[in-house]
Amino acid sequence: MHKSLSPRVNALSRRAGCLVMLLSLLFLASCSHQKGGSSQPGNRAAMDTTLVIAMLGDADYLNPVLGTTVTSGNIFGLIYPSLLQSEFDTTTGLLNYMALEKKLRPLTPGQGKKAPKGALAKSWTMSADHKSITYTLRHDAFWNDGKPVVSGDFKFSYQLYGNPVIASARQQYLSELVGADKGKVDFDKAIETPNDTTLVFRFYKPVPEHLALFHTSLTPLPAHRWKDVKAEEFRHSPLNQNPLGAGPYKLKAWQQQQEITLVSSRNSNLPKPGNIPAISFRVVPDYTVRLTQLQTGAVDVVENIKPEDFSALLKANRNIDVKTVGLRVYDYVGWSNIDQAEFHRSGKLRPHPLFGSAQVRLALTLAIDRQSIIDGYLKQYGVICNNDISPSLKWAYNNRIVPHGFDPQRASALLKAEGWVAGPDGILQKEGKRFSFVLYTNSGNARRNYASVIIQQNLRSIGIECKLDVQESNVFFENLQQRRLDAWLAGWSIGLEIDPLDVWGSDLQKSRFNFVGYRNPRIDELCELAKGKMDTKDARPYWLEYQEILHRDQPITFLYWMKETQGFSKRIEGADLNISGTFYNIDDWKLRPSATIAP
Amino acid sequence: MLKYIIKRLLIAVPLIFGVLTLTFFITRLAPGDPAAMYIQPGISPNVAEQIRAQYGLNDPVPVQYVKWLSNVLQGDFGRSFSRAQQPVFEVIASALPITVTIALLTLIANFAFGILIGIISAVRQNTFLDRFLTVSALFFYSMPEFWFALMMIILFALKFPLFPASGLNEIGAEGYTPVSFVLDRLWHLVLPVTVLSINGAAGIARFVRGSMLEVIRQDYIRTARAKGLKESVVIFKHALRNALLPVITLAGSSLPFIFSGALFMEVIFAFPGMGRVTVEAIFARDYPLIIATTFLSGSLIVLGNLLADVLYAVADPRIKL
Repeated sequence: MHKSLSPRVNALSRRAGCLVMLLSLLFLASCSHQKGGSSQPGNRAAMDTTLVIAMLGDADYLNPVLGTTVTSGNIFGLIYPSLLQSEFDTTTGLLNYMALEKKLRPLTPGQGKKAPKGALAKSWTMSADHKSITYTLRHDAFWNDGKPVVSGDFKFSYQLYGNPVIASARQQYLSELVGADKGKVDFDKAIETPNDTTLVFRFYKPVPEHLALFHTSLTPLPAHRWKDVKAEEFRHSPLNQNPLGAGPYKLKAWQQQQEITLVSSRNSNLPKPGNIPAISFRVVPDYTVRLTQLQTGAVDVVENIKPEDFSALLKANRNIDVKTVGLRVYDYVGWSNIDQAEFHRSGKLRPHPLFGSAQVRLALTLAIDRQSIIDGYLKQYGVICNNDISPSLKWAYNNRIVPHGFDPQRASALLKAEGWVAGPDGILQKEGKRFSFVLYTNSGNARRNYASVIIQQNLRSIGIECKLDVQESNVFFENLQQRRLDAWLAGWSIGLEIDPLDVWGSDLQKSRFNFVGYRNPRIDELCELAKGKMDTKDARPYWLEYQEILHRDQPITFLYWMKETQGFSKRIEGADLNISGTFYNIDDWKLRPSATIAP
Repeated sequence: MLKYIIKRLLIAVPLIFGVLTLTFFITRLAPGDPAAMYIQPGISPNVAEQIRAQYGLNDPVPVQYVKWLSNVLQGDFGRSFSRAQQPVFEVIASALPITVTIALLTLIANFAFGILIGIISAVRQNTFLDRFLTVSALFFYSMPEFWFALMMIILFALKFPLFPASGLNEIGAEGYTPVSFVLDRLWHLVLPVTVLSINGAAGIARFVRGSMLEVIRQDYIRTARAKGLKESVVIFKHALRNALLPVITLAGSSLPFIFSGALFMEVIFAFPGMGRVTVEAIFARDYPLIIATTFLSGSLIVLGNLLADVLYAVADPRIKL
């Protein structure tokens, strides 16, 4: 029966086949039409005038009081003006602050390529007692609506930064202002504006000049625009979608979770209208797709490219350049110095049964082959890390410290001296306790996964059992904060001003990021002494000693510094990367027009 | 039937409510802190506290629950924690159109291709064509979507640059005429919709083939043929209608997909759709947004099932509701 019907069925399926083909043809036809459409001159012209930067996620707020992510900072930094311009001096590793007519430090040759034309301050004077700083502002600075930028804008903005209802992440900057020591900044006394171009900040204690400059140069908002917004409504005010700035760029469109487009602000003199007519920040959440887009030329800048992708990327497209900047970021293995369980139970501080001794921690560092992690993963983009003062901060870096090399024999000897001897299963034992622990890390980080496997192997070879566990980032972070983990692999990104007390301070309630529970009174002392110096460079001896102590105590095993690696299209000219940020001189960048553009 | 529908809808209310209550407690009891991003060196410890106070997270959980309940009963699901305190329904409203466009295109392609392939391989059972279609359907069905998507991007965006790798529109598309804008949008949708529908169509094709084979062997099909009806009438009118019953279940259960989005596709192709809203909310511990998306998908699952039941009755007169 089936057979007798087959001609008809055949006809039917043939017809169906034709339909499929027809559909596919239509499909392709519409695609090729569109392909043609995309390279129309209008679009090419748009590409030639638009710099496209890929970003992982959307900006949170384009409001300097509220924005917390790096992306947000990069973008609102182009929209809003700043009181001072800061520049990282690569020969000394010191931050320089510049007003139009004054600089904190004289420029070293080859540095200071960026003239401070964008600064709102003409000059400043620090009082002799270091308890107040007076700025003179320029007369010719205007918001995009034509209203002048005045000292009142700063006072108004600092009140927003300090308002607990607004909960700005930058309220720490106000911590030296008059009244802050009593819990509440007294804005009438702390910030004075005798006239529109004079701005005075008063502190309750003497503050070093560089810190005063750093802490008083928060970005201002236009007071006339924001004055009627209630604090409770500040975070969801519609004005956040439509920022009024004065910088080289203006917001043109913000399609949430997709794209933020800025256009050069033609009337800006802070410092000038951006060279590139338009900058588009596009959200591309997937890494592989970001790479693909860089290769096809759909985007021009992709940040944080993994070292393993460089060679393929450069080979695939000769118009791509990989630029590096660093060193600000390091990975480490945290060993709990204190017995966390006992600490939670009774509040008592006892050494951790495994990692409580500095000698044991040193042995662990010696047993880990840090160089092979660098050779295997980071290659020339990694440097062995000895402590948390970056080699880039040359003025403070102690280059006499010899890194602990890879030396499993010495590690074993140190452990033996501490009473750890091999048990029947080959794992070290001491008083019946096996040297076995779980090394936690956060999920989704290929580099840390790679490092943790090497660490596991290295430790196994000297008789230490290290089990690996990966936790969801939020959970991992919470466990760290609550000091629930014994050993973990994580990282820090350091600030350009050295202030490590949060991470190493002995008061474990106050030093919230001292996850390992390291305590050394001399470290607290050195940090305080360094902070008390009115000239940064005078603190150098303290920082040298600080590094020696950390090198000896090994509160954690510092693994490696990483260079940040950014992929750039070669059509960008004049990009000058700086440790203070990839987009540090973006208003000076230029785009080379495509060769095929019609005249 | 109307009575049945109303009854089902009434039962759905406590069900959805129970789901929301459960979600409320699970999210709050799970580890993680919505203010976690404010806990880092250089940020005052007060900030996280102030943020938690703003979100009302300092109250005991039962108190939070009562407050939340009274708000929800007034139709207020609150403001998102992680997205600039936008009202949660605004967040959803901006993501839904994108998700629905993609999902509808995908579903149409899914069912059109799936049913077509299913019929062909059933009608030509055990021929080369059937085997070829079966094997390739199985091949695509078992392929992980994210991998397939990446391969398609590498093939069609990188090696043969025919389609864009991601995004919804070209740079400068705002300046296009409405027609070119829509065409540009469609051009951007080709790869994701293809990936999603190839995968889905393969599954549906297997379903249709199976149920079609069963139906073709029934007596009434033989009767239809014996009456001398045209083969196309036999297949499409007599067999297909009966064979589609299980497919209706599939269609009903696809309803939540239309609104909940396809996470991998949205991440890979950079579409700001519902999948990303949901998952990013979970990672950011954005409680109000998690609950709102749960509400949406919970309601849709209930509605989808109801729809499928109603469609059964429409398609098969033997079923009485």
